[in-house]
Amino acid sequence: MEAARRLGVALTVASEQPSTFAGANPAGLITLDLSHPDHAADQARAFARVHPVHGVVGVDDDTAVVAAAIAAALGVRGNAIAAAHAARDKYEQRTLLAAAGVPVPRFARHRLEEDPHLLAARAPYPCVLKPLRLSASRGVIRADTPATFVTAFERLRRILTEPDVAACGEPARRLLVEEFVPGGEHALEGLLVDGELRMLALFDKPDPLDGPYFEETIYLTPSRLAGDAQRAIADCAQRAATALGLTEGPVHAELRHNARGPWLIELAARPIGGRCSGALRFVIRDAGGEMRDASLEEIVIRHALGMELPNVERERQASGVMMIPVPGAGVLREVRGVGEARAVPLVEEVAITAHPGQVLVPWPEGSRYPGFLFARGDTPEAVDAALRAAYRRLEFVIDAD
Amino acid sequence: MTPAEIRITAEPIDTGRCKFLVSEALHAGGARRFASADEATGSPLAEAIFAIPGADVAEVIVSGNLVTVVKRSTAAWPVVGKAVGQAIRAVLAAGQPAVASKPAAPPAGAPDDDALYERVASVFDHEVNPMVARHGGRVELIDVQDAVVMVRMAGGCQGCGMADVTLRQGIEAMLHEHVPEVKGVVDITDHTAGSNPYFAAAKK
Repeated sequence: MEAARRLGVALTVASEQPSTFAGANPAGLITLDLSHPDHAADQARAFARVHPVHGVVGVDDDTAVVAAAIAAALGVRGNAIAAAHAARDKYEQRTLLAAAGVPVPRFARHRLEEDPHLLAARAPYPCVLKPLRLSASRGVIRADTPATFVTAFERLRRILTEPDVAACGEPARRLLVEEFVPGGEHALEGLLVDGELRMLALFDKPDPLDGPYFEETIYLTPSRLAGDAQRAIADCAQRAATALGLTEGPVHAELRHNARGPWLIELAARPIGGRCSGALRFVIRDAGGEMRDASLEEIVIRHALGMELPNVERERQASGVMMIPVPGAGVLREVRGVGEARAVPLVEEVAITAHPGQVLVPWPEGSRYPGFLFARGDTPEAVDAALRAAYRRLEFVIDAD
Repeated sequence: MTPAEIRITAEPIDTGRCKFLVSEALHAGGARRFASADEATGSPLAEAIFAIPGADVAEVIVSGNLVTVVKRSTAAWPVVGKAVGQAIRAVLAAGQPAVASKPAAPPAGAPDDDALYERVASVFDHEVNPMVARHGGRVELIDVQDAVVMVRMAGGCQGCGMADVTLRQGIEAMLHEHVPEVKGVVDITDHTAGSNPYFAAAKK
């Protein structure tokens, strides 16, 4: 919203549930059947006959597919629907990437009805069990032995049969088992223009993500990886995007890097999640040489509308975000120490997004962080230290289950 | 009360906007908005905030124990916020009114905020609040200053993940249609205190 305002772009916000203002602002609010991209595209086509649409942007995994369908229906810039679909489905994605020679972990897809003991007997160890569709590492569990495989399988089965998950149909009746890839994890934020990937930022994830669950914590940029390793990661992400058939718009890729080079873990046809994009600031140099600040969202909107985007560079300062770990299962009553956390030098924002009374659910069943910390400084090391210092000052008061 | 006993919590909204919650009330007579250093003349707190070097402050809103600062520069909020905190403490320690009361009559040529207030209040009563009530929400009209409307959200709107959509695509659009003289809408809600938002905030 803020990015569109800064650009002076009229915005229509689509949601799957009607806004209470939909009738009052029919050009600015639209209700779409986001569960069925083809239907959503038909709805958007009808809408655009009355209110012309010049660009479309998805904001998460599901709406990236809807955005592709709408772009195709309206003839505006976007990805092919099949490509967006392939990026959303972890099995389809891995199948295409492996066929194209992009380094991915060995994988196999199974049905929930299969006997976990039989699967455990032939699984590679260590391995990771994953849902095909869920995001934010919900339901992702590492298993090191046949016994832990069976436990993980049963736990993931329970998650996939929860009503909100089961509602997505066939993908919720299957799971992925893949080899665990050791090594540091990195997140690449990029923009595809005519099939060419521009790397906008590369994040390091300094906390080891070795499981058994994969709740994220800190993202830091610029990366401290050597230049050739960064180039290898960017090349790997480019090959992945090409293999999936993605050609336009934002890309968020998760990769591991070890002695054998980069490994593509996941690539999504969307920008980094809403709050985390606050860790990114860019400088755009206009054709006249004038420089101006821009957010990631502004860059995405400019691209979607075909606006000029000549030279984009990330700001010079190091930056980072910490997704605050869920402190435990229970009902959040209070968060103490927010003022003290904000007072930590280099910390720019302490955003507590969980509200009092909210039920906190730890990973792997959960997928919602209770808040976010942001910091900027001269070096990634200083930003890392500031985020950890701020986190130590927070105290979550919860009523345990 | 000594400056050390005053507690101030900064809540950046984005790089341009930050709210400061103060443990002491700064201005009891509704909200006051200052859109320039000239307008701040005679209001010590606003004067001091506009004078912060390098911040390029564009707007200061003072309401109760809340100060909202809008800046144009990319200076980090921790740096600017420290100066804002010093200004708040200095004003409270001096025991003087932080901001002057609203002028009784608008200067010639300026929008008649009192008349606008009545029309905006009518839109809130008859259009806005019946709509947000369907999601358990409520929007309070705090003040109208220089044709800018200040609102506070409550109930299902407070802390809602769609609050900004409601504000920009709903309330602002509706005011644009019914009261086109309105120049903008400013949300002075403490969204972190919302305990029953209709839609949860972003996951990640």
